[in-house]
Amino acid sequence: MNHQMPAFLKPFVLLTYVLLLAPLVIVVAVSFGASPNYQFPPTELSLRWYRAFFGNAEFVRAFFSVSLVLGLLAAIFATLLGTIAAIGLVRFRFRGREALEAFFLAPLFIPEILFGAALYLTYARLGIRPSMTSLLFGHIVVCAPFVIRNVTAGLVGLDPRLEEAGMSLGANRVQAFIKVALPLIQSSIISGFIFAFIISFSDINLALFIAGPNSTTLPVYIFNLLLFEGDPSVAAASTLQILIVGLLIWLVQFLFRPRTFV
Amino acid sequence: MNPAARSPRPYWTALVVPLALYLAVFLVIPFINIIVLSFHTYSPTRIWTSELTTANYVDLLDASFMSVLLRTLRLGLVCTVICMLFGYPLAYFLARAERRVALIGLFFLVMPLMVSAVIRTFGWLVILGRNGLVNGAITAFGLDRLPLLYNETAVVIGLANVFVPFMVLPLMASIERINPALEEAARNLGASWFQTFRRVILPLSLPGLISGCLLVYSAAISAFVVPMLMGGARVRVIGRLIYDQLLISYQWPNASAIATLLVIATTCFAFAVLALMRRSARQEQSA
Repeated sequence: MNHQMPAFLKPFVLLTYVLLLAPLVIVVAVSFGASPNYQFPPTELSLRWYRAFFGNAEFVRAFFSVSLVLGLLAAIFATLLGTIAAIGLVRFRFRGREALEAFFLAPLFIPEILFGAALYLTYARLGIRPSMTSLLFGHIVVCAPFVIRNVTAGLVGLDPRLEEAGMSLGANRVQAFIKVALPLIQSSIISGFIFAFIISFSDINLALFIAGPNSTTLPVYIFNLLLFEGDPSVAAASTLQILIVGLLIWLVQFLFRPRTFV
Repeated sequence: MNPAARSPRPYWTALVVPLALYLAVFLVIPFINIIVLSFHTYSPTRIWTSELTTANYVDLLDASFMSVLLRTLRLGLVCTVICMLFGYPLAYFLARAERRVALIGLFFLVMPLMVSAVIRTFGWLVILGRNGLVNGAITAFGLDRLPLLYNETAVVIGLANVFVPFMVLPLMASIERINPALEEAARNLGASWFQTFRRVILPLSLPGLISGCLLVYSAAISAFVVPMLMGGARVRVIGRLIYDQLLISYQWPNASAIATLLVIATTCFAFAVLALMRRSARQEQSA
């Protein structure tokens, strides 16, 4: 169908990609430069900003002890809750099923700053101090819809006759589901898990409101440094984040080819 | 669909209960709390008292809030239009490209979306900053530095960049559903590509376009990180106002009133998007 596309389309699409990716490319390039002035293109290559990043205990803590741990925990809980709920949604037709699905997906559409503000005020009212746990509870809410979307798509694409075959061979419904369907939707569950991890790992809006002083996440730490003009070790940390997110998306896309992205 | 796949056995419903309960506690209650708080009275010593009042909403009618509100809505609108201009060609390209190209294109669209907004904004700070890329080029020609950051244009650039995937993804899904034979038929009947676009593709992709616009608009009017980093103190928007009122000046009832209004607006948008998505899914099933 390429021949049908008007001639201006490809250059314009290319320009859009350049604009879309320019900020990321520049962050990566600056992180490998030697200049402290965010020089682009860097005139001299150096790893000094990576040394500076790993030499900063607070920064390393925000990355490895807070953001990575939080992302994994949020993804585990969101995957458990979300997968179970998605099975219930797809495998059972009941009154209000569509409304319930909309409710489950609602966090996708609610601006995170509003959810962050709402959680902040609720915690404040109940006298709960902001901590990693309080942030985790919020992250599970925003991560679960990504699991639901992926698992629902996987289940809808599944031929029910496979399970029926299992049942005719003597398995009961639950056994048939666990032994036949579950392995087949494994990749949907894994991509849901990965997306959930990334959402938590990249989140800034919720964390700004409900991360406590001891649970500063990587994006919040970067945000604070940017407000007060930090050095390019920010770029080094950002590059590591881009690398992790990029690898995970690549993994999902090329290994599992999910139907739904967002 | 095979009816056996949807067994009417009640125990399946139990599966949706844990998440429903979880969301009731951690999503519904916080929002009810914010609505209730918006009707409470502000107290300088105790932050809020339980006396009910509508003063927090009445207070919003003053000129300074109105100017913030109007600026936010205007920036959101400009951002949506820019996302549409850049997003539509990209969505069309991805929907009609061959599979390999589309997969790579999708990767480079989704990857930036998933990287933290802070990092993408950071990149723009390097490009547009006082000693940034653009000013470096300008000064190399012996010209004076331009103040590219901390104004509304900078905020719009940042917002449009962050939210363009929200436009492309629903639009792409919508265009993919249009049978390419329709386009070919229009072209064979002598329509130019522009006529084909205006008469065939655009009307059929309208649900995706509207979804995309609503998603971008509701994200843009509630944005906070980008306006804060790229707009500085000068470009005050609603998101910034809520943040300052909550965490800096502790005007909780007032902030709750603003947040409640924004919740109502974005909920309406969300329902519209969901209704559109359902409708096109049904059309696909019946087609």
